[in-house]
Amino acid sequence: MGSLKTFIKEVRSAKTLAEEKSIITKESAKIRTKLKDDHLSLEKRRKNIQKLLYLYILGEKTHFAQVECINLISSDDFQNKRLGYLAAVLLLDEQQEILTLLTNLLNNDLNHPNSYIVSMALSALGSLTSPELARDLYPDVEQIINRSTEPLLVKKALQCAARLVTRDAALLEIFYPYCKKVLDNHRLCTHGVLLGVLKLCQSIIEARNLYEFDNYLEILASLIDSMPEFFSLLQNLNSAVFNQEFDVNGTSDPFLQVELLRTLRMLFACAPEKTMQYVDKFGDLLTQLASIGDGSKNSAHAVAYECVRTIFELQLDQSLRVLGVNILGNFLSGKDSNTKYVALNTLSRVVPQEPRAVKKHRKFITKCLLDTDASIKVRSVELIFAILDETNVQELTNELISFLEISTEDDKDVVNYVVEHIMVVLESERYGEERWRLDMAIKVLELVGEYASYEKVNEVMIMINNARSIELKASLVLKILSTTIDAPADSKVSVENSGWKLVAIWCLGEYADLILGSSGLTEVKLTAWLANMNRMCYDEPRVTSFILSAALKLSCKIQSKSQIEDLRLLIAGHSKDTNLLLQTKSTQYGILFNQPTKSKKAILDAMPFFAKNVVEETASSAETRQPVKSPQAAKETNLLLDLFDTDPVPAAIPGGLGGQKPPLNSNGQKAAPHVPTDHEHVLQAADKIYDCNNLSVYGKVVFCAHQKAVIELNIQSKQKKIINLHTMAAVAKLQQLSMGTLSSGVIDPSGIAKQQLELTGSGKLKLRVKLSYTVDGAEVSEQFDHRFAESL
Amino acid sequence: MTDIKYMILISRQGKVRLVRWYHTFTAKEESKMLKELAAIVLSRKARMCNILEYHDHKVVYKRYASLYFVCGINADSDNELLTLEIIHRFVEIMDTYFNNVCELDIIFNFAKAYDILNEMLMCDGSLVETSKQEIIKHITHMDAVETNDNLNRVFA
Repeated sequence: MGSLKTFIKEVRSAKTLAEEKSIITKESAKIRTKLKDDHLSLEKRRKNIQKLLYLYILGEKTHFAQVECINLISSDDFQNKRLGYLAAVLLLDEQQEILTLLTNLLNNDLNHPNSYIVSMALSALGSLTSPELARDLYPDVEQIINRSTEPLLVKKALQCAARLVTRDAALLEIFYPYCKKVLDNHRLCTHGVLLGVLKLCQSIIEARNLYEFDNYLEILASLIDSMPEFFSLLQNLNSAVFNQEFDVNGTSDPFLQVELLRTLRMLFACAPEKTMQYVDKFGDLLTQLASIGDGSKNSAHAVAYECVRTIFELQLDQSLRVLGVNILGNFLSGKDSNTKYVALNTLSRVVPQEPRAVKKHRKFITKCLLDTDASIKVRSVELIFAILDETNVQELTNELISFLEISTEDDKDVVNYVVEHIMVVLESERYGEERWRLDMAIKVLELVGEYASYEKVNEVMIMINNARSIELKASLVLKILSTTIDAPADSKVSVENSGWKLVAIWCLGEYADLILGSSGLTEVKLTAWLANMNRMCYDEPRVTSFILSAALKLSCKIQSKSQIEDLRLLIAGHSKDTNLLLQTKSTQYGILFNQPTKSKKAILDAMPFFAKNVVEETASSAETRQPVKSPQAAKETNLLLDLFDTDPVPAAIPGGLGGQKPPLNSNGQKAAPHVPTDHEHVLQAADKIYDCNNLSVYGKVVFCAHQKAVIELNIQSKQKKIINLHTMAAVAKLQQLSMGTLSSGVIDPSGIAKQQLELTGSGKLKLRVKLSYTVDGAEVSEQFDHRFAESL
Repeated sequence: MTDIKYMILISRQGKVRLVRWYHTFTAKEESKMLKELAAIVLSRKARMCNILEYHDHKVVYKRYASLYFVCGINADSDNELLTLEIIHRFVEIMDTYFNNVCELDIIFNFAKAYDILNEMLMCDGSLVETSKQEIIKHITHMDAVETNDNLNRVFA
């Protein structure tokens, strides 16, 4: 059997994984047999364990040698003991029964005259501290801290003690006096020993909730008494003469500095009142620490970063917090990406506390978008959205767009995040005038529409649809269509950009009449382009479905007979589509296509103002003309896109035009018209919330809990027959509304129509309802507000 | 509290060269983490930052020549930048001890590498000593004792 070296060489010389595996398995089996041999010499045993440790590194099973580690430890030979302890900390863990075998050995070795053996025993105990070992061996550890004059042993014993305290909180009473005692013994206090003291302090603080006796406050007070000592240690580290031994790139022992800061932080946090006297001193010290050290080195950053964390965790006063933010801002201006990473992470966490200070650093935050590391980009983007407000929205949006312009395939996640969030910003009226917001939204879509979710693409369409001035609409549509149809050579729109395609196709269908003739967009050109898209996107059902709707709508906006015929053929071309939805659509549209132009126009007109589920009540003054939404549009947000799938009006076409017909449900079956049989019953428990010459409205909250409410409106006509009834409703800003279908568009004299409203969100239940109907041949429109007693 | 959950040395080929767990994981978790971490760390580009999020904790790693040093740390309480310094300290000490350390030194003398690591970090991965000299002094002393079979004579 060869030596460890030969074994390692053998493994390394293997040409294939299989060969390597077979060498390892063979050797492992050999070691197993050898170790079973009771007469094996210690020397050979050691060799086998060495190999076994190599197997451990290679990830092989080593459980069979656990007892063997203990045998080696029990040897008197230093070499064997050293290997035995190494093997024990690697191969054993705290849960194993076998640890009981260790108790005696450790007990002996902790009292061994050779300090290296004591030191190894302490290391092993620190790694393998079962609660039993903790109870049995703590007196030995205490003795070492108490009596030893060797820093090597004291520092390890202190670390061990800290670990024992976490295993058995009652032990903290034994160990706490040594924090002060060791600190007072200046000759003993090497940096290693100080680390041990700090670790023990931290452990004692952490274990406070597990400690069952009532003298904890005294214990804590004794730790607090040591605080001035910690302060002066920190100060000395930063002012004392240069000490090569502990210097790390110009920072004096950053490890110890960070541990000191942490310990102080924990003390301040767990006893805010008792430590009050030191707060100012600590603040001064932090200011001092944060400003020294070489600004470009990681070691200096590590300490400054710890200072910043301390400032924010302890919520120190505002000037310090601003200082903290500025240090982080400084980190961002540097080159090191790790420092940027921690700075961005921390800034995101402190934005709520110091928004103004963070905003000042937006230049550097946006600069991080250019970093090569995706995780830094993501964080910078998150932070950008966190600090975005009315004053900086333009600047930040521009930065984001320049980022989108240069983004690559690798940035997919970041781009996704940007697209999803920026649309929310651009939708909101808070952030600047409509034209700018729309321009930006379209720009984003043009650049990276392939990453926009269908919902976001929808939202852009809604924004265009809701644009207030026709001129704006026309210029947007013209811009979109001329970029797409003429496709200039420098166009950045990629072929995969389906978001952009959808919007372009939709615009063509809705607004072709606004732009026909401008910029050379002729009927022929538009039709040809649509037909071309139809060919190119045959494998994208969603795009095709948009094309069908656009073709239908376009057909009543153009004059040329041959183009109209082309469109008809385009629609008819899908009547045998394998996709059932497209097939249905094609057939339905085919029927619609042949309707007389006049009725067709009425159906295929551009969509009305589309209020998303939230109608902002406060904004209603600006949009009094249409502050409420049409019931059809309110049903679901994507209704705009699936107009003809669920919209009752066109679906009712085959039976004649008009809204009088009872609507169809989405399955295409006729919903049974509501027959008001039991008026009294219906109106029970419902309040009359509106009354006029023609009708009364009764409202009832059917259900109201968990941020959701269902309201039922019963509209009862008085003496006359009401036809063409439409209901529209708006709710408070914090709520979302979804409207059910009106049970009937026609109400017979003293009949009732029902309308369900579903509200989600929070706040009082307030409702603005608009009713429009025809009675006696006259169109009437009425609006009223009502507040229910319930609230969400 | 600094607690390093593990320190793993992985070669550029994805082979584990040294591994030390400071928290208790099951054997299954350990082998899964080794595999995943090797894949993640090796696929990182040189200019990327050395900190990443992994499951419930953070990983700080750094490449030195052909070896990646990978540390798991607590996601909130640990100082990522300081962890980089701890890794660097470990490398420096090995460099002094082996006199220009290379991957082969660590492969053939893994026990020594472990000894150095054990003088630096103990218990649940907390730092015991920050002085290079101190650590090298003790390691070489122990080596001397090892070559000299008679323990008591050296320490008399």
